[in-house]
This record gives sequence, C-alpha cells and structure tokens, in this order.
Amino acid sequence: MNYVSSLPIIAIITPFIGAFLIGAISSNKKLLPAMKGIAIVSSLVSLVSLLFLTKPILLEGKVATYWLGNWMPQEQMAIGIGLEVDSFGLFTGLIITFSSFLSSIYSVTYMKEDNALDKYYTLFLLLLGSMIGFVLTGDLFNMYVMLEIMTFAAISLTAFRNNIYKSLEAGFKYIVIGSLGSTLILLGTVLIYAQTATLNMAQISALIHNNYTPVTILALAFMMAGYGVKAFLVPCHTWPPDAHMSAPSSVSMLLSGVMSKTGIYGFVRLLYMIFFSVGMAKMELLIILWGTLTMIVGASMAIIQTDFKRLLAFSSVSQIGYIIVAFGVGLSSKSSIGVLGTLGGLYHMINHASFKCLLFMCAGAVLHATGTTDITKLGGLSKKMPYTTILFLIAAFSISGLPPFNGFVSKWMIYQATYEAGYAPVTIIALIVSVFTLAYMMKLAQSVFFGELPKKLEEVKEVPLTMSITMGVFALACLVEGLFPKIISKYLLEPAAYSIYNLHNYIDVMFTKGFAEKMFKNKIPIPNMTYEMAGYWRPEAWFVLFIVILIGFIIGVGISLNFVKKNNIDTTCNFGDKYGVFTGGEKEEFAPIAGGDLFWGLRHNLKGYFGFLEKAHSGVVNDYVTWVISCTAVLSIYLFAVL
Amino acid sequence: METLKSLFYILIFPGLLFSICFGLILSGIDRKMVARMQRRIGPPIMQPFYDILKLAGKENLIPRVAAKKTFILAPLIGLISVITISLFIPFYGIYFFSGQFGDIIVILYLLTIPAVALIIGGAASGSPYASIGISREMVTMLSYEVPLVIIVLAVGAKAGIAISGNVTFSLKVIEDYQKLYGVNLANLATLPAALAFLFVIPAEVGTVPFDVAEAETEICEGPLVEYSGFYLGIYKLTQAVKMFIMGNLFVSLFLGGINFGNTILNVLFNILLIILVIVVSVSFVRSVVGRIRIEQTLKFFWTIPTVLAVISLILAYI
Repeated sequence: MNYVSSLPIIAIITPFIGAFLIGAISSNKKLLPAMKGIAIVSSLVSLVSLLFLTKPILLEGKVATYWLGNWMPQEQMAIGIGLEVDSFGLFTGLIITFSSFLSSIYSVTYMKEDNALDKYYTLFLLLLGSMIGFVLTGDLFNMYVMLEIMTFAAISLTAFRNNIYKSLEAGFKYIVIGSLGSTLILLGTVLIYAQTATLNMAQISALIHNNYTPVTILALAFMMAGYGVKAFLVPCHTWPPDAHMSAPSSVSMLLSGVMSKTGIYGFVRLLYMIFFSVGMAKMELLIILWGTLTMIVGASMAIIQTDFKRLLAFSSVSQIGYIIVAFGVGLSSKSSIGVLGTLGGLYHMINHASFKCLLFMCAGAVLHATGTTDITKLGGLSKKMPYTTILFLIAAFSISGLPPFNGFVSKWMIYQATYEAGYAPVTIIALIVSVFTLAYMMKLAQSVFFGELPKKLEEVKEVPLTMSITMGVFALACLVEGLFPKIISKYLLEPAAYSIYNLHNYIDVMFTKGFAEKMFKNKIPIPNMTYEMAGYWRPEAWFVLFIVILIGFIIGVGISLNFVKKNNIDTTCNFGDKYGVFTGGEKEEFAPIAGGDLFWGLRHNLKGYFGFLEKAHSGVVNDYVTWVISCTAVLSIYLFAVL
Repeated sequence: METLKSLFYILIFPGLLFSICFGLILSGIDRKMVARMQRRIGPPIMQPFYDILKLAGKENLIPRVAAKKTFILAPLIGLISVITISLFIPFYGIYFFSGQFGDIIVILYLLTIPAVALIIGGAASGSPYASIGISREMVTMLSYEVPLVIIVLAVGAKAGIAISGNVTFSLKVIEDYQKLYGVNLANLATLPAALAFLFVIPAEVGTVPFDVAEAETEICEGPLVEYSGFYLGIYKLTQAVKMFIMGNLFVSLFLGGINFGNTILNVLFNILLIILVIVVSVSFVRSVVGRIRIEQTLKFFWTIPTVLAVISLILAYI
C-alpha cells in the first residue's frame, strides 16, 4: 500500500521557491507581471502535482510517503521528517490548492490598485506553501512549523492595507490570539515529545494509543485549544471577524474558506489518530457540545452585524461549528452513524470552502466596485452588477442549505447523523441555526444587492472578467456538489473517511507491515461507508421533477393565456419600467430600509441575549486572551476528569 | 409505461394540475367558511379561480428600480418548488416518489423555498414596504420553524423507535407505524405535536393572525406591494398550493395509515381530511382573531407550540 513519490514535496516546495524568487526580484518594479506569473504558476504547479496524486491515493487507496533527505526510520524509530499523504490529507490539500490557485488569479485584478504587490505575492505564496505543508506532513513538529509560517503570513496579509487603521488593529488582535494558539500547540507538541521521544505522528499514535498519562492528557488539552484558535471555535473565535474584515478579499477567502480547514484537519488528526478516541462517549460529547456552541454563537453574532465581510466571518464561525459537530458524531461507537457523521463533516468541509470563497469573492467584488463593505451604505447593486448578484445568490442559497444546492446535502447528512446518534437537541439547534443562516444571508441580499440604489453608486460597473470567471468556477462547484452528491461521495469523501478510520495502514506505511498490530495488539475495525446509508435525497431527480413541472406549467400557461388573449387583453409585452415604487408619499431617496433596520422583531424579543453577546465581544484583546486561557483551563479540567 | 405513470404523477395527480386546482378549491372553501362564520354570504367556492384568471389578464407593471429578472423569476421558482413537494408526500397508501426521493427534512427545506422566493422577489422590487415585509417574513419563518422541526423530529422518533429501533425521517415508516398502532392524533405521545402543527399551518400559509409579513392595512401586502398581474397571481397560487401541502403533511404525519382497501375511496377520504384540517386550523382561527404583531408572533411560536412539541419529543423517547 506504500507509494513512494516526490510529488508531495514538489507541491510544498514550489510555492516557497516562488516566494523567494519574488523576494529576489522585488527590487525591480518593472518585473511586476513576472511576479504575478510566478504566483499563478507556483500555485498551479502545486495543484497539478496534487492532482497527479489523486489516482494512486484516492482511487487505489495507497498512501504516499517521502522521507526528507532520505532519513529513513532506523530500528522502527523515525529520525527524519517524513511526509505522509493519505486520502484525507490529499483531500484537504486539494481544497487548499484549488482555492488558492483561483485566488491567485482573482488577486491579479483585485489587487491592481494596491502598492507593495511584491510583498503581497511573497506572503501569498508563503501562506499557500505552509498550508499544503501542514496537511501533507507526517511530523508533529513540522506541522507546528508550517502552522507558524501560516499564521505569520496570514497576519502580515491581514494588515496588508496598513493605511487603514482597522487593518492594523485586526493584525494586532490576530498576532496576540494567533500566537497564543501557536504557543499552546507548541507546548502540546513538546509535552508529547517528552513522553514519546519521537515527533513522527504515526509512531506517536502507535505509542500512546489508549495509553493516557497525565502529561499526554495535558498535551491533548493544550493542542485542542490551540487548534480551536486556528479553526476559530467559540470562545477562541474572536480574531477572524476583524481579520477577515480588513484583509484583502482574495486573502480573507483563503483565511475563512481554507485556512480554517487546516484547523479542522489538525483536530481530526488529533482526535482520530494521535489520541485515538473513536468510541469514547465523553470525548464525543465534548466535541459535539463545543461545535454546537460555536454554531449558535457564530450565527447569533452574524445576524447583528452591519459589515458585509464581518458578517461572513461570523458565518464562517457558525459553519465550522457544523463541521466540528459532524466530526464529533464521527467519534461515535456505533460505527454506521459515526461514518455518516464523518462523511457529512468532510462534505461540509468541501462545501464550505466553495461557498465561503465565493461569498468573500462577491464581497471583494462589491468592495472593488464601490469602495465599501458597509451594508448600510450599499443597496440596489443588482442592476449594476447582475452577474455578481446571481453568484451571490447561489452562494447564499448554498450556505443556508436550500435544496438542491450543496449546503443542503452536507447539512442533511449532519442532521441525520446527530439525530440517529441520539443528540436530538443538537439536531434541532442545527436546523434552526440553518434558518438563522438564511436570515442573515437574506439581510445581505436585501441590503447590498436589492433595495434602492444610493445616488453615490450610480456609476458602479460590473467587475472585470478575470474576477467573474474565478467566481463562476466556485459557483459551478457549488452546483455540482449539490446535484451529484453520489459522485462526490464516491470519489472524494469515502476514500478520505476510510483513511481517517484506517489508522493501521497509516502507521504500517510509515514503518513496516504489522508494526501497528504489534503495538495495538488488536485490530481497529473499519466500518463500511457509502452515501447510500444517508437515506433518501436525490437532488438530480428532484431537479428533473422541477424541470418537468416547469415545462408543464409554462405550456399550461401558454395555452390559457392564448385563451385569455381572445378577449383582446395584451399581457405579454408590458414590461415597461416607467413606474417608480410605491413609497406612501415619501421621497424615494429617504425611503430605503436595509441593514440594521431588518429583523427588528427578532432583536426586540431577544434583546437581552443579543445585548449580552455584543457586550461580550468588547474588542479588547485582554478579554479575548482570557477567553482562550479559560477555554484551555476548562478543557484540561474536563479531560482530566473523564479520561 | 413507467415514464407515462411518472408523467401522470408529475403533471396531473398529485402534481401540477391537481395541486393547483385543489389548492384553489381549498382556499375557496376557506373563504366561504370564514364568510359563513362571520354571517356573510361570501364568495362562491370557485372565486379563487376567477381571481387568478383575472390577474392573468391584467397588465404587468415592473417598477423602475426593480431587478427585473429576479423580480419575474422568483414567483415562478417558488410555485414550481412547492408543487414538487406534493410528489413527496404520500396519499393513503400511494407513494409517488416519496420512498426514494425525499424524507421529512427534505420536505421541510423545500417548504422554505417558496418563502425565500417571496423574500427575494420582494427584495428585488426595491420598495421600502417590501423591505419591512421581507424582514417580517424572515422573522415569521424563524418563529414557526422552531416548533416545526421539533414536531417532525418527535414524530420521526416515535415512529422510528417503534418500527426499527432507531429514529427515522421517512414518511413511509411513519405511515407504517400508524397502520400498526393507530393514527398519531389519537396517540397521547404525539397529540401535543399535532396541536402545535395546527398552529404552524396558518403561519406557514400566511393567514391571519400570522400574516404580519403581508399585512395589507399597514404595509400594503409587504413583499407583494409592487407585484401585479400574472406574477401576483402566481404568488396567490403558491399560497393556495401551500395550503394543500400543509394539510396533506398534517394528514400523513398524524392521520395516516387508514385503509379502506380501495384506492379511490382512500384518496377521497384523504382529500376530505385535508379540507377538514385546513378548515380547523386556518378558517376557524382566521374568522375569530385579528392580526398580531411580529414580536408577538415570535414570542407565541417560541413558547406555546414549542413547548407542546418538546413535550411530544420527550414522550417519544420514554
């Protein structure tokens, strides 16, 4: 099952080489087109090299390994850094490289007006390279190093537009909270290293399998909190709203849509591999509760925001909650339900990447065209930017899980998994949060794209073609994932889920065959998994029904209109737009209602709750750090109590 | 033959033709009943047909600030999606596509599409009244969705645990359960859920007292304020079909499993029950109470029906 290949290292190292190349030629401003070229080509090379890996890994179920410097393990002790790419790593890697490649194309036009672009592309490629490195490596310390490069590239990119005060503030918040998270992960890594004297993940998981000592429990708590910061789980979710708001959209789409997946990747590796906790009901409960909390707080905060990108950031927090809940159910001891949860979580990962990237790109398009993302100042853009409006609606319907878009399939799997696992309250909350999602997305649609066009925005133009094409690709992805869940499941999700559960193979490939069995003494059962167990939802069939009824309806209407026409009433050609809207006597420009005015009924009834949340998110970094620390403390206490 | 049968299902019964006609008849019956209860003579039962035909013959006005394509397409998409739901809900013993195509969660979500279409259409009209209307529509949706999901989960839990030992989302299993154990309405565990569902129907259909989103007297029909002619007719049609869908959903959740051994008799009895449900839940309420405010709607749905539904959910597990 081993597959030695140098493709993983090529995928990691090309962006880094590109970054240094750009750095080397940055003194010559005339070479700016070359820098853009380097950025696009490097991300393309990463994407292609990972695509070459799909056949052996996703289809044939092999695991690719590569030992850096050919430092092979000696006497079953890993010495050097080993890359190990299983289906799950490749799955996450594909999400990363695909989105980054499109983002690099989007950046070319989007960032045209900014200066210091050489630094932008350098940091962009560093971010990309570190993300790929993070998911492809098989070494715990290497993961930390990649995470650190990732965090610092992301911080610099967040504060990239440093003429704006908000960017610097966001960068500062990010640097404090992000470093705290990294420190926790480093502490966890150190503690594990002290216990096992190795940094290779396969070996660690073999050594501390079902073998908890106080030190490893503490390490687990630290690492969970650290990855909680990276994946922005409540209460460590306080940096993304600022960071995603002020970063350029081409970066915030990566931060929100893709970088959060690395946090989840860390979580899954931690819980399913290093500390093998499948079947531990207490751990399952913790993760599900944590995810549910994240879901609720994210959605409640999103509904009261008045900034396009800030709202999207909070919505990301809430969607990450869904994914975490799904992976929590995946830990269930009832394997068939657990697998359903894992599949749903993986599906929601890929879906979230597609629609959140698209939403941030739409926000970027609005910013590019109008210069603001404050939804109280926007409105009526659908007349000026029809293409962006359609794409935004696709993304909004996808994220709020309307059938037949992609969000529905994954959420539906998550509902089933949680409900069948016996967490009925979680299912109810998940269903209601989904309606909340719809609510804040409709708020965006109403306040930004529909409603009245302010006088200032009358000169607005549709975004250039390169931007709209990249956005279109994501919209297409949303539709394909929504309409053909069987294919997605068969070729992407099932191999990835299989590899998550197939711990034996992961360890055996790194060392020798039978190594894991010797260490574990018994085999871990791997459940069967197909999309079939999810139940009855065939979007493509629904779509056919929809089309048939639509055709039938149009024919029927055509016939009956002909009948009406006999009475000499002309109905077809009256599309004149000479009429203004009815405003009850007010002048039109004083009438628009949008942004904060919406959802009064909800906010009035829950003013205590929303007031508390608003007060809690005070914007003071000290408070936020306290939250992260208390989260770590609570986790440690809980884990010590139950393990 | 299979294709022909499917086409019959899709286009005639219970799909396009039947759901539109029956929805309109239902809304006619509703209007007549309300009139009789208020000691008026009321319109003839066929009146909704005349209304729709009249609207179809009227001029279509599209305001200057509206997003034209969205404005036109939104009502159409809402209507067609609500008609597709009719194929997923079984009539007594007849499963159209329900076994393989959709379960209750799918139906719940498909039911949101018409509301979203109304919201998007209203937003696209660019009117300030529509803005208030869509905000209210959204909050109404948030209000009734809470009890609705709990009801559905409670019934699914009750039926699934009895039949297969685990919870279910399948309407077929729920119907099988009722065949074996008697209708859910007569079952003490699911009775609260049934009552809560009766409260949800008027809000989902958008009638008094929960028609805050379309309050004619305050915000001129909210999202519909700029709609006229054919497109307004489609919205009215959607509302009528939704009435049929909600009635039928109630029947299959709480009154399913009755079998006379004769398909036609079964279907007729089902239709009768739908009319009864709509008269009880929509017409009775509509004729005696006035419209309540939006925050009262939210408060009402998050208290009484939710508590009823939660009681059912708890009883289902004991």
